[in-house]
Amino acid sequence: MVSEARPILEVSGLVKHYGGVRAVDGISFSVERGTITGLIGPNGAGKSTALNVIAGFLPPDGGRVLLDGEDVTGQAMHRLARRGVVRTFQLARVFGGLTTIENLLVAAPGQRGESALGLLGGGRYWGKSENEVLGRARQMLGAFGMQDKADEYARNLSGGQKRAVETMRALMTRPKLLLLDEPMAGLSPSLSRQLEDMFLGLTREGLSLLLVEHSLDTVDRLCSKVVVMAQGKVLAEGRMSELRTRKEVQDAYVIG
Amino acid sequence: MGAWEFYLVVLLVYLGTDLLAAWGLNLEFGVTGVANLGYIVTIAAGAYAYVIFTLGSPASAGDFQMYVGGFGLPFPVALAAGVVAGSVVGVLIGITGLKRLRQDYQAIAMLVVSLMAATVVSADTPFLNGNAGLVLLPNFAPLSDQDPEIQRWAYVGIVAFCCVIGYFVLRRFTTGPIGRTLRAVRDDEYAAAAIGKDVVLLRLMVQAAGGALGGLSGALLVGFIGGWSPGAWAYVETLALLTAVIVGGMGNDRGVSVGTFLIAILILQGVQFLNDVPELKALEAQFNRPALTQDLGWIVLGTLTILFIWFRPQGILPERRPKYGEVRG
Repeated sequence: MVSEARPILEVSGLVKHYGGVRAVDGISFSVERGTITGLIGPNGAGKSTALNVIAGFLPPDGGRVLLDGEDVTGQAMHRLARRGVVRTFQLARVFGGLTTIENLLVAAPGQRGESALGLLGGGRYWGKSENEVLGRARQMLGAFGMQDKADEYARNLSGGQKRAVETMRALMTRPKLLLLDEPMAGLSPSLSRQLEDMFLGLTREGLSLLLVEHSLDTVDRLCSKVVVMAQGKVLAEGRMSELRTRKEVQDAYVIG
Repeated sequence: MGAWEFYLVVLLVYLGTDLLAAWGLNLEFGVTGVANLGYIVTIAAGAYAYVIFTLGSPASAGDFQMYVGGFGLPFPVALAAGVVAGSVVGVLIGITGLKRLRQDYQAIAMLVVSLMAATVVSADTPFLNGNAGLVLLPNFAPLSDQDPEIQRWAYVGIVAFCCVIGYFVLRRFTTGPIGRTLRAVRDDEYAAAAIGKDVVLLRLMVQAAGGALGGLSGALLVGFIGGWSPGAWAYVETLALLTAVIVGGMGNDRGVSVGTFLIAILILQGVQFLNDVPELKALEAQFNRPALTQDLGWIVLGTLTILFIWFRPQGILPERRPKYGEVRG
């Protein structure tokens, strides 16, 4: 039974070390349903490693990850993605040999054209499902103001555009929980604000987000809860406005 | 049948079987990003399966040659066996590399599989008659009441028919949503996994399909030439197909077809005519290099591969993406 009150993501005692370095050293926190949780901290704090372990990209060395109360620790990335946990990467990864719109199309879940029946039946079998997906992809491109890049190879896009493609692609999967690693880096200020509004809108539709972000202004505006990491541990947890006043946070992470 | 007409038939059968093989390798490497340097083993598997399905019982061969199987079955059954054998071997090669290794190491693992398979088959004489290979296949005669000349052309027709079927199957994989997904896996396997694609499963599926095309190619070839031995499937044969894929245009089925004609027919068959050049014969004698013309073919192939990777990595006909146009309405 999935209880509405239960957090969508619960991380407890998560550990990941590289050789002797404990990059993530027993962290615990949770992400509430329909909210945005920020994960901040100085460089090398272990934020990206934590995200990589939660997303199934790296196997954990200890601890547990619960999704909707169910243990998903160490599950492969594609399995988690099919359960609605979709992540983006710190350095945007696009499918360079596909066009922008194809990058979005490929992410749609449950495409008929990808199945064995699709291989046998051909376009007659999957044509309708393809048209629906195409409609969604065009809408998404419109919302990001990238219609004119639809048929451009993704490898030719700018850094910020690639990041936008990655975010759009993640949204195309209809995720329940998005794990975003610095989604605003390299975006223009206007697109960045637009994206913030979009994320807030999506949370009202039930999407939950875990956001690794350097811009504290963004975190301030978006996150109902912020987890501060330093040297692999959770240093503090709370609202950004409270955290700004805490001494240990200021020491670890010089807050302006 | 005149010598030239016979030669034309041979070239057409070579072209057809090379096309099937190059399409299979393009599906694996050009479209899905699996650098299967052991691809020739799927062709060999198809050929050997055809051989042991058509030959009679090994006992009847006496001391002449040893082999397993010997089912004495008709051509279509043996051809199907070749397809299945190629597919199974393709998946087995895939399993060695795809599950745990990174892309560059996959290629090495698969190359090693190719070398090991050749060594085992050469050494284990009771299995498939070792280095000497298997010959004296029952002559497959389509239209058996007709002239041998017409029968040979009928075989060309069978190869052409198989190519049409093979191309149809290939296009099912390389176009549409599934083709898009495979290209995504090629471009970035981690990003593909992050949106829910089961990369290993997709690649094993492609290994099965590419291997089936390789198996069909091998079976059709051996049905025509009537014998098969480890010398016919050295690992360098994979490199010839790889050159055809790179030169023609990775990921573009038509480009790869052009590349196959260029590499497998124009260059590798063309160098045979250098034997008629007296100056070259003199050079061969002078440097004691009796296979100089053969070597020249490989030198040209290697040079072409390097030149294309440097100056035109997209090949003669680059991969084309569909245009969906701007947002409407």
